[in-house]
Amino acid sequence: MADQPTATERFVQGILPENPVYRQLLGLCSTLAVTNGLKPALTMAGAVGFVLLSANVIISLIRNLLKPHLRIVVFTLIIAAFVTMVDRFLAAYMYSMSKALGPYIPLIIVNCIIICRCEVCASRQSVFTAAADAVGQTAGFALALVSIAAVRELLGTGALAGVRVLPAAWPDWVVMVLPPGAFLTFGLLLALVNWVAARRGGGG
Amino acid sequence: MGYAVDIFLIAVSAALINNFVLYYFVGICPFIGVSRRVEMALGMGGAVTFVISIASFLSWTITTLVLMPGAPLTRWAAGFFLPPEAAAAVDLTILTYIVYIFVIASSVQFVEMYVRRFYPPLYKSFGVFLPLITTNCAILFACLVIMGHVVGVENPAEAWDLGKALTLGFFGGVGFTIAIVIMAGIREELELCDVPEPFKGAAITLIIGGILAMAFMGFTGVDSGLRAALGGG
Amino acid sequence: METVLDDNRSGPSGQRIGGNLARAWLVLVLALVLGAALAAVQVHLSPIIAANKRNETLRQIPALVGLEPATLKPGSLEIRSGVFEVPANGTARFYRVFMVRLEGRLAGWVVKTAGQGYADRIEVLIGFDPGVTAITGLFILEQKETPGLGAKIALPSWRRQFVGKKTATRLTVVKGRSAGAGGIDAVSGATISSRSVVRIVNRTVHDLAGRLTPEAVRFAGGES
Repeated sequence: MADQPTATERFVQGILPENPVYRQLLGLCSTLAVTNGLKPALTMAGAVGFVLLSANVIISLIRNLLKPHLRIVVFTLIIAAFVTMVDRFLAAYMYSMSKALGPYIPLIIVNCIIICRCEVCASRQSVFTAAADAVGQTAGFALALVSIAAVRELLGTGALAGVRVLPAAWPDWVVMVLPPGAFLTFGLLLALVNWVAARRGGGG
Repeated sequence: MGYAVDIFLIAVSAALINNFVLYYFVGICPFIGVSRRVEMALGMGGAVTFVISIASFLSWTITTLVLMPGAPLTRWAAGFFLPPEAAAAVDLTILTYIVYIFVIASSVQFVEMYVRRFYPPLYKSFGVFLPLITTNCAILFACLVIMGHVVGVENPAEAWDLGKALTLGFFGGVGFTIAIVIMAGIREELELCDVPEPFKGAAITLIIGGILAMAFMGFTGVDSGLRAALGGG
Repeated sequence: METVLDDNRSGPSGQRIGGNLARAWLVLVLALVLGAALAAVQVHLSPIIAANKRNETLRQIPALVGLEPATLKPGSLEIRSGVFEVPANGTARFYRVFMVRLEGRLAGWVVKTAGQGYADRIEVLIGFDPGVTAITGLFILEQKETPGLGAKIALPSWRRQFVGKKTATRLTVVKGRSAGAGGIDAVSGATISSRSVVRIVNRTVHDLAGRLTPEAVRFAGGES
C-alpha cells in the first residue's frame, strides 16, 4: 500500500477510467431501473452521491479504529442510516419523486458502489482523498445514468427532462421507457464504451 | 376461495408477470455475473430462493410485531415507560431499512452455517453462492415490497398476512431462478457464436436480457385476466 | 465457522459476551450516534411526510365535486374524512370517503377506491353529488399501466368523460365515438385499462348509491 492514488487521481479515475457503471459494472439495479427519465436519474445520482460522500468521510475519519472482522458491519450500519435519512428527506421535500423512485431509494443500501468505495478507498486513505473519491465516483455514476436516461427518454417520449424536443411527428418508441429499453440501451452504450476504450488502448 | 385466488395471483405475478430481474431490475449483478453455466445459475437461484423465503418470513414477523406503529411487542415494551396511548403510538418504521439489512446479513450467515453442517451435498451445490447474496438487491427488495403491503395500509382487510408475504418471497426467488437459468442456457450456446469484441461479456448479456424482458412483457395483463376468470373481484 | 463452534464450548459465556462488547464498542457508539440522528430526522420530517400524503388526496377534492378552490371564501370549505363500510358477500368492503361541505351544507362526496388494472392496481378518486345520483369528477391517484398507452387513463381529456354520468345507468366501454348515456370511449390501444377503470367505477357506484349518507359514515375523531 505504499503508493495509494492521490486525491486528484481518485477524483479523475472515478469519472471515466474507473467509471462505476461502465467500467466496474457496479450499481446496475438502480442504473437500469431509474433511467426512464432524466429527472429520476439525476435524483438517484444525487441520493447516491450524498450517501457515498457521508459514508466515505465518516469511515475515513474512523479508519484507524476499525476492527477487520467488524468492518463490514460498520459500513452497513453507516450506509443504512444515511439511506434512511435520504429516503425521509425525499419523502418530505420531493414527495412525487420519492413515490416514483419507490423501493430503489432504500435499495441504495445494497448498491455495491458504496460498499466497494468504503472498502477500497475510505478505510485506507485520508478524509480529503476519500471525499474526492466520493465526488469522482458520483460524477461518474451521474454521467452514466444521464447518458442512458437521455437516450431512453428522448427515444421513448421525444422529450428531455419532461420538455418535448423532438417534433410531434416522432412516433414515441414506448418500449425504450419500458424495462426492455433499459437493457438494450445500456447494453449498446456499454459496447460503445468498450469499443472506444479498446481503440484508445490499442493506439497507445 | 378468494384467499386462494389472491395467493395464486401473487405467485404468478412475482414469478412471471413482474419478474424480479426482468421487470424490477433487482438481482442484476448475479444475473450478469453468475449466468455462464446452467448448473451455476441453478445453484445461485436455489440459494436466492432459500434466503429470500427466510428473509420474507423474518421481515414480515419483525415488521408486524415490532416495527410498525402500534405493533404489539413494541407497545408492550414501551408500556413500562410510557402511558398506554403514547406506547401505542411508538413508531419504529424509521429503523426498517437498518433492521432489514441486518436481518438479511445474519440469516445468510445462519443459513450458510446450518447448510454446511447438516446438508453437505446441498452446500456443495449452492453454498458457495451464499456469501454473495447479502448484497443481492432481490432479497432486500422482497422485504421492502412486503413492508409496503403491511405498513400504512389504510384498509386493514388488505394488509398482507404471513402467507402472502412468504408467497411473494418464494415465488420472487423462483422468478429470479427462471430468468437466470434461461440466460445461462442462452449463454452456453452463445459460446459457439462469434460475438463482436466490444459486446463480449456484459454487453451481449444485457442485450439478451432486453430481448428476454420483451418476451416477459407478454405476461402483462395475465393477472387481471386470471382474476376475472377465477372470480376474485 | 469451526472457530465459532469451538468458542461456544470454551469458557463461560458471560466472559465471551463481555469480550465481544469491548471489541464492538465502536459499533455501539456508532449505533447510538446514528440512532440519535435518525430520531432527529423522524421528529422533524414525519409531520411533513404525513402532510404530503394527506395533501396528495386533499388537493384533488374540491375540483372533484365541481368546486373551484380559488373562487371560494377562505374557511367556507370543510372536508371530513371517514370510513364507509359495505357488506359484500360475507366480508365487509371499506371505502375511505371524504365529505365536502360548503358553508355548512353538503356539497358532495369524494370516494377513494381501487381495483386491478392491466399491469397493476389502479387507485381512483371519484366525486359524487350530495345524493350520489351523478359522478362529478374522477382522478387517477396511482397507476402503473403501460406508458404511452394505458397510462393515458390519467389524462384529463379521458377522465372528463365520466363527469355528469348518472349513477343509475351502468357504464360500459365503447370503442370509437362515445354512444349512449353510459358509454365511455376507450383509450385507443388500451381497452383493458379503460375497462378496468369503468369496472372500478361501476362497483363503487353499486356499493354506494342510495346508501352513502352522513349518518352511515364513521368519521375519524368521533365528534360529528
